[in-house]
Amino acid sequence: MLRLIVDIDGEVIRKVRPVIGYLHTGIEKTAESLRYQQAVTVTDRWDYLSPLFNNHSYALAVEKLMGVEVPPRAQALRVILSELCRISSHMIWLGTSGLEMGAISMLWYCLRERDKILDLNEEISGFRMHTSYIRPGGVFADATPRFLDLLDRFINSFPASIDEYESLLSENPIFKLRTQGIGYLSREDALQLGQTGPMLRGSGVNWDLRKSLPYSGYEKYEFEAAVETAGDCYARYKVRIKELREATKILRQALDTLPDGPINVDDRKLLPPPREELDTSMEALIHHFKLFTEGYSPPVGDAYAAVESGHGENGTYVVSDGTHKPRRVKFRSASFVNLQSTERMALGGMIADLIAIIGTIDAVMGDVDR
Amino acid sequence: MSPSKQGGGPRADLAEHGQERGRPPSKTKKGDLAKIAIERGVVAGDEWVTVPAARIREAVQAAKQDGFSFYSFLTCVDHLARADGRPPHTGQAAGEPPRFEMVYELRDLERSRLLRIRAFLPPGDPVIDSVHDLYGPANWDEREVFDLFGVSFSGHPNLTRILLPDDWEGHPLRRDYPVGGDPVEFSEEHEEWQTAPKRA
Repeated sequence: MLRLIVDIDGEVIRKVRPVIGYLHTGIEKTAESLRYQQAVTVTDRWDYLSPLFNNHSYALAVEKLMGVEVPPRAQALRVILSELCRISSHMIWLGTSGLEMGAISMLWYCLRERDKILDLNEEISGFRMHTSYIRPGGVFADATPRFLDLLDRFINSFPASIDEYESLLSENPIFKLRTQGIGYLSREDALQLGQTGPMLRGSGVNWDLRKSLPYSGYEKYEFEAAVETAGDCYARYKVRIKELREATKILRQALDTLPDGPINVDDRKLLPPPREELDTSMEALIHHFKLFTEGYSPPVGDAYAAVESGHGENGTYVVSDGTHKPRRVKFRSASFVNLQSTERMALGGMIADLIAIIGTIDAVMGDVDR
Repeated sequence: MSPSKQGGGPRADLAEHGQERGRPPSKTKKGDLAKIAIERGVVAGDEWVTVPAARIREAVQAAKQDGFSFYSFLTCVDHLARADGRPPHTGQAAGEPPRFEMVYELRDLERSRLLRIRAFLPPGDPVIDSVHDLYGPANWDEREVFDLFGVSFSGHPNLTRILLPDDWEGHPLRRDYPVGGDPVEFSEEHEEWQTAPKRA
């Protein structure tokens, strides 16, 4: 899905021009023609490997526009699902990057853990991938006892899996040869090119939206932003491995301190009333009818909310013109921006290095082309 | 697509024009943004300023000197045929309502702040100066806005379509671009099943 036009001098790269758009599906246009609560489903398909982050940023933007804050339990569930999603996104990255650099067995180990996360998604939302779980006003469903049990088991077993990945790659001489000193991106270049996520932190910039501009209660959890200073492919690998460990720490704290209470805001103008009320309350019936025929209309204005996804800053910019459909929904995609640094990293390198460079950018083409 | 015929490839005249307009802006200093701004405020917790479209490079440069040195994104909003007549935050209450709103979202990493710069463009043939040399990633974002909205950026080194094929007609994110279907080419009754409007 990604086409690179490369000028080479022997095997040395002189120019790289990425050609994108092969996966463009017009998601922003589609979102404009849907009501606010319906547009959640298209956010799943924007960066299809991390749907929860997309749901999360969209929900935050709409809530910001409407001045709504979700209850603590919903926030904690959002954090849990987001961190699970970070792990599953990094699993795909680690597996496929390992595969591309000759460590074929990585893919099977990584998909094994990812499958456990998909099971968790299915248990809580009914869907394995396109969950639409986080939505404006709260989350779709409460955690079941089985979900909490599965999550507990996953958190207990996952650190051993990370050790296993590290034992396969971290000191592997072939892997180190192909990544250390390859695809160097300096701190200044990373900032100038607007890089976010592991690309930025691998170049020594301590910027993580969960730390710098906490959302959904991230300030309550103790974790470190993973930062490496080397700026090469190996540094970005180390950043992501550390993020896996930190994500596990956040999951443990969030699970242990999961507050009780409602999982949605108590606002009948935003979310439908419980099913039981429909039988007895005329008002509930009217709210239900209005929500599903017309939807809700945020006040005129615009809002931007960003979350730290596995790839970097994934944000949603929503413009409301006071009607029940958004005037404009813009998805700020980390992969789209990060991909622009390909040339800077690859110039003067060998053509075989491009594989490692593209691998560690971790650009998901659905995220790039939207 | 009659209203938006100019898409489809780099325009030779634009490249020349760009040489003229793409010069580095005159010297700006810290705090100059307040002088350039014609309206400013806070909406849903986000700080924003509106600047005249002709001074966008100055404004972006001044914001950069004020510490907003990290680029988040830039995009465009089409305010065609709003029910309330004119978009908010334009900085002017009378006159013909502008159609396109350019939005530049910038970050200050040191102080964890966010700034939105708005500039409004009239309907017709919207053109604004490129800021690709001030913020690297603006290069692709400007190509995207050119591709999907048909806004031209003078001074851009390679203003071509980025997401859509080069021979695509029209700019899909404009509000007057129909949300039509696709011709079903594999159907036996191709003519009958055609769902796309004959002329968009």
